[in-house]
Amino acid sequence: MRNSARFPHTLDGLKETLVIWSAELRRAVRSGRAVVLLGLYSMFSALVLLVVGWLAGQVREAVNKQLETAGAGADASAQVGEEMRKGVLGFLLSDDSAMMEALSRVPLEVLVVFKITLFFLPAYVALMGFDQLSGEVGPRSMRYLTVRARRSSVLLGKFLSQATLLLGLVLIIDMAIFVYARIANPGFGFADVVINLIKFWLAAIVFSLAYVSLTTLCSSLFRSPAVSLVFNFILLFVFWLMDTIGRAAQTAYSAYQVVDAYAVGEPSMMPFLRFLRYLSPSYYAGNLLHPKLAEFAASGAAYAGFAMVFLLGAYAVLRARDL
Amino acid sequence: MSDLAIELFGVSKRFGPKVAVSNVSLSVPRGSVFGLIGPNGAGKTTTFSMMCGYLYPTEGTLKVMDVDPATPGALKGRLGALPQDAVLPPGWETGALLTYWARLSALAEPEREAREALEQVGLMEAWNVQTQALSHGMAKRAAMAQALMGRPPLVLLDEPTAGLDPRIAAQVRQVIKGMKEARQTVVVSSHNLQELEELCDAAAILDKGKLAQAGTMSELTGQGSEFRVQIARGDVLIPEIASMADVTDARMEGESVLRVRIKGGVKPEEVISRVVGHLLQHGVLILGVSRGQRLEDRVLQLL
Ligand SMILES: Nc1ncnc2c1ncn2[C@@H]1O[C@H](COP(=O)(O)OP(=O)(O)O)[C@@H](O)[C@H]1O
Ligand SMILES: [Mg+2]
Repeated sequence: MRNSARFPHTLDGLKETLVIWSAELRRAVRSGRAVVLLGLYSMFSALVLLVVGWLAGQVREAVNKQLETAGAGADASAQVGEEMRKGVLGFLLSDDSAMMEALSRVPLEVLVVFKITLFFLPAYVALMGFDQLSGEVGPRSMRYLTVRARRSSVLLGKFLSQATLLLGLVLIIDMAIFVYARIANPGFGFADVVINLIKFWLAAIVFSLAYVSLTTLCSSLFRSPAVSLVFNFILLFVFWLMDTIGRAAQTAYSAYQVVDAYAVGEPSMMPFLRFLRYLSPSYYAGNLLHPKLAEFAASGAAYAGFAMVFLLGAYAVLRARDL
Repeated sequence: MSDLAIELFGVSKRFGPKVAVSNVSLSVPRGSVFGLIGPNGAGKTTTFSMMCGYLYPTEGTLKVMDVDPATPGALKGRLGALPQDAVLPPGWETGALLTYWARLSALAEPEREAREALEQVGLMEAWNVQTQALSHGMAKRAAMAQALMGRPPLVLLDEPTAGLDPRIAAQVRQVIKGMKEARQTVVVSSHNLQELEELCDAAAILDKGKLAQAGTMSELTGQGSEFRVQIARGDVLIPEIASMADVTDARMEGESVLRVRIKGGVKPEEVISRVVGHLLQHGVLILGVSRGQRLEDRVLQLL
């Protein structure tokens, strides 16, 4: 009957997932949490945008003034502006020339705001979905679901509803940023706006899906939503720390190699610490805006890998646990 | 397909050092109403939870509707469950929630199923009420309603009448009787032993996680093995009654109750008639005759 054929079995699971996905999405939209978080996040982004915009304006003005007193022409001013831009880009993203070329038409404010919002996106994801499973296991409402759906369907349905919400929210925020940029920089052409909007949106999505599944994993581990939220933040911090330490160790290691001739001995922890950064999802964020498909795909694959590992972990936990 | 809806083979469940259920074996025949009896903490809810696949047994195996309840998706469409202490998820209107769950159960007409189930438990007025705004009794009935949707062949109800007012509790009992008529198998737990005696064909008595006794209701209450005669006036000749055919024991319980035990395999009506005839012949006036023992008395005797 039902169990004898593999295919109807899988189809059943798919249907369950779809039903849970749409129901959870409707509930989330109505619950208001998503809206409140969206409001907060847009306010935060707007604030960053204003501050960065103002700072950039100030710096530009100061540089222009100095150049004027030095008696330089408009050409020099533009050149200095371009140099500054490159410096900031190199600091923010990478000094890859192809990437700089590709992003040359995007206003600097957009890049800065994008970078900063990307940094906080994981926290936002955690706040949105920390109780997706723990909030149902704790009060045991999960028990109403598991008699009618497989645990895997519940997990996947919840994950997909969170992912969909995020897709929408990131699109709204990115759109707002680009609309602002277009108004503030009349030189930012419409075609460029659209292409870059899609590019930035895609990058943010690939980036955040790994964090959505991390939040799903954290939510599957505990009965108490508060504990899963705290644990989620701890993990985010640990990932950030691994990335930062790894990069610092790499810099130190490169420096050490340069001065190798004079060095007395190899720093003992350095080779190991360098590799820490590869274990942190944020390490792979750099190439998400890369114009070359291969570079973008490699970054994307890293994020897909993280997402997969976290989701499988969440399933293993949920499958094995008492509800 | 086996005649048994549920089978437990040496099932134990431990929570850390705490043994909640210890080596319980029992079986529930299809089409019967089966009671789970026991004081608080006896392990009823834990047993229910293992039958529904919420908890995995530490030892032993279960078969529910011929499958292991731990198998993903195996019980879908075959089992309706009212879990104890499971909160209805907030942020839903009751009707929408039940419709969603009916759809998840892959029922053909989800909204109609939800409506009918709510009507059965007399809760149609809550269709548009948010779940978190339901009173305790209403939430319990809404939870009961979701277990009824789709008329699953097996329904597990953990304390369905606890905390309900008497009128609603009677309505719930009526629903359970209706399920029995529809040949659904029902497993129900309750503190109200009178209620279980009225509803159940068979029951298991749990105490401190162990199975104290299991059997049909008439086995448990000794319907075929003893009866009591309430005496109004007159002298009862105990030795004479005790020596009558098919009587194994006769004695007075207190001033005015004669208890008679019957030999196994004998039709009780024959012995009862002979004993009553004997009493009347000797000028004893009788107030009443009752067969067996109240379930409540039996349980109190056991625990
Ligand atoms: N999750 C749990 N963790 C620890 N102990 C539990 C848990 N669930 C139940 N118990 C214990 O197991 C015993 C049986 O509980 P339960 O099955 O709920 O009893 P009943 O439903 O018969 O009142 C109780 O002593 C209870 O404290
Ligand atoms: Mg209980």
